[in-house]
Amino acid sequence: MRRTNLKVGIYEFTGCAGDALTILHSEDELVDFFTVVNVSSFLMAKRDNVEEKLDVALIEGSITTEEQKEKLIEIASRSKQVFAIGICACFGGIQSMKLGLGGWEDRFKKVYGQDKIPIGKAFESRPIDDFVKVDGYIPGCPIDAQQFFRAFTRIINGNNPELYGFPVCMECKWKENQCLLVKDLLCLGPLTAAGCGGACPTYNIPCFGCWGPYEEANLLAQYHLLLEKGFKAEDIKGRVRNFGGKRIVEYLKQLGEGK
Amino acid sequence: MKIEIEALARVEGHGGILVEMEGKKVKNVLFNVFEGPRLIESLTIGKTPAEDVSLVCRVCAICTLSHRYSALRALEKALGIKVPPKTQLTRTLMHFGEMVESHSLHIFFLSLPDLVNRPSAIALLDDFKNEVALALKIKKFGNLIMTTTADRMIHGENPIIGGFGRFPSKEQLVDIKNLAEELLPQAVKAADLVGSFSLPNFFESDTLYVACNPENGEFGFVGDTVLLSSKEELSIEDYKKLTNERVVPHSFAKRSLYKGKPFSVGALARVNLLGERLTGEAGKCFRKYYGPRWKTNPLLNIMAQAIEMVYCLEEIPALVDRIIPLQDPPVVSATRSDGEATGAVEAPRGTLYHHYRIKDGRIAEADIITPTAQNLDDIERYFRLAAENLPTSFNNDPTTILETIARSYDPCLSCSAHLVEVKRTEMPDWKVKLSSVFEGSKRPVFVGLGNIDRADDGLGIVIAQRLKTLGYQGVVAEDEWEKLVSHVSKEGEVPIVFVDAADFGGEPGEVGIFPLSSVKANHVTTHRAVLDFYGQILNSARKGVGDGNTNRNGSNKNRDGNGNTDSSRDGNCNDAGNGNSDGNGRYLLAIQPSSTEFSSEISPAVSRAVDQVTEFVSDFLQNGA
Repeated sequence: MRRTNLKVGIYEFTGCAGDALTILHSEDELVDFFTVVNVSSFLMAKRDNVEEKLDVALIEGSITTEEQKEKLIEIASRSKQVFAIGICACFGGIQSMKLGLGGWEDRFKKVYGQDKIPIGKAFESRPIDDFVKVDGYIPGCPIDAQQFFRAFTRIINGNNPELYGFPVCMECKWKENQCLLVKDLLCLGPLTAAGCGGACPTYNIPCFGCWGPYEEANLLAQYHLLLEKGFKAEDIKGRVRNFGGKRIVEYLKQLGEGK
Repeated sequence: MKIEIEALARVEGHGGILVEMEGKKVKNVLFNVFEGPRLIESLTIGKTPAEDVSLVCRVCAICTLSHRYSALRALEKALGIKVPPKTQLTRTLMHFGEMVESHSLHIFFLSLPDLVNRPSAIALLDDFKNEVALALKIKKFGNLIMTTTADRMIHGENPIIGGFGRFPSKEQLVDIKNLAEELLPQAVKAADLVGSFSLPNFFESDTLYVACNPENGEFGFVGDTVLLSSKEELSIEDYKKLTNERVVPHSFAKRSLYKGKPFSVGALARVNLLGERLTGEAGKCFRKYYGPRWKTNPLLNIMAQAIEMVYCLEEIPALVDRIIPLQDPPVVSATRSDGEATGAVEAPRGTLYHHYRIKDGRIAEADIITPTAQNLDDIERYFRLAAENLPTSFNNDPTTILETIARSYDPCLSCSAHLVEVKRTEMPDWKVKLSSVFEGSKRPVFVGLGNIDRADDGLGIVIAQRLKTLGYQGVVAEDEWEKLVSHVSKEGEVPIVFVDAADFGGEPGEVGIFPLSSVKANHVTTHRAVLDFYGQILNSARKGVGDGNTNRNGSNKNRDGNGNTDSSRDGNCNDAGNGNSDGNGRYLLAIQPSSTEFSSEISPAVSRAVDQVTEFVSDFLQNGA
């Protein structure tokens, strides 16, 4: 194992902490992780954190308050490279499934009552690339440990993380899973980036889209296929929005308005 | 003094603790939750029940399966779905996996370092290498169960409405059974280790405990009613009576009270309420260690967790034996598309409620109440008790014990790893001085001066009246000088505090305390003449007590010995041993008035000051000087 002098920080914003936890639960890789690089800051794992100039910042969670926004900008300002880990940081997370549809303030009031909560000015969840330049995305809800460590190894060797250039369907084929679309289930496999190993279809459960959109997916074709199978337009759009955040909003424009 | 525990991350995100103290009195305790709002409940509106299950488990990566399970119970009840035994048993196994994983992490990595006074789990390795190794093994075992039943450790999607996408294979189940049997004796030893530590107890206090009551009358982690340690039992459909959720300004986490009082949920609540039902090794453990302190000391939560860990490891083989012979049932479909119901399960850290209303097969209403939201108020209450009753051996630094209390509730994972900051701020001068007056051997007499008809000028009378209402013995009003004389004659020399509006050049509402001897020259009080009059009366009253009286001697010692600790009372007020009999032990507690106009109300600033003074004296009465 080659030691490097790279300084790495891991930071968590709004989310469930599942991505940092995935790293922490990787008992087999964790020691190497802490040996190969200098982990300057990882609040969840250790207390002697140093906020210094970093080579790599790994950001989990979306941005939902002014305070977080400022902190993110500060971290990015002292980091050579910034990577988003998990779909909250990548696309905004499930908490941004209604981006562009309005109504956030009403929902906020519904949950927290009419009064303004003074701590931290809150807003609808946004991915980190709305505020800082992001050098790469490692999606997943939560991230997959193997995919993460593979990508991380590339990053610390000065390469792009280079994730899989195919959708979940490919992983299903490798596992010889029966296609759930054939069973007329609303499976998002063709639209979703690979990396989970086809986790849900392997358990006979349709893909829920938790890796976020696969960039080269033919959304329009899949949309019409699902319409033909009898699914309602609103349900299909709602389903892809669950984990698609900001990215899916862009793709949904392909479908045109009102469709 | 201000105690700040910053960045107590993973209380469903980011939180911190702030305790503000003035002297021995806690003014303010805040368990702040800074985690950015996600509004998950509102986002489920319009979604299908199946989508809901996949969304709400993402509230928390640590309790993901408990969230999923609680949602499944609520939604299935609403949709009229009854799951077959194999599904139910496999869910129990899955839930045990999360319980074991979470408890082993909490006991060994988060709490054990506190008990043996080490900064972290890594520092434990020297003396507790075997325990740390065991903890890792048990944690890994919990992970294995979660992965086997749910398909992955975090946000596993296999448990679905009506059943499972795929049931674990027989081989997987047998592996789990064998591992549980292997780990059980070690877990019992670990419980004995946890039981051998003595826990600090100076903040002990009764509280109300709440936990799910399993239908089968056994120990367990799910139920459609909750038991309360007040002997009440509530249907979980009435959860709002219990949780009474409210929003507080300092936190994005909502709070809960029952009948206006904080309560606790979690392993300690469960063992307190259901411990008698434990059998086997877990039962032995319970009977060996259970006692009355379990109802008063939150730190025993980890002992309760250790017992639950033994319970789970002991139950798993039997559970596996019951699952294996059963055929995989098909997924049960909904019998209706409208309904409303509540589900509750015990997450490792306490009761977790999910409530939904479903209309036309879509979520129309959603409400999630997490255990940490229920515990926050009780945690704050124990913080207050700990900070106020801190023994001297803690060197005036309550941060460690506050962290320990917070951690004992297991609010979430990395609560362990974060710093507490102590910031000391000076107590307002008047409180320091008034405390020192109280710390003398005799309670002071308060003499209220003033004119109740003249706005702020009446504050002395108002304070005197309030103190009387509180039951304070030594209070006299301006015109009750005879009472004062008789009090002084009877008690010997006592400190006397005149309370009045006085212009000492402060801000309106500012409180000051001055030796009476200095008042003449420096301050303007509207009742100068009255003070003079009292001075004369008191001089004669003191003479009346008589020379050579032991009381007198005692108080002389108080006043005269500058190097004596007893002198602090007067020494702090720059009034000791100055030979001026007029000033000794007599003070003017003055509030700077805003207005002394006729028949207007007391001004808000002065009103606040009056409250502060009354509250301060009342605290001394309650807590003793």
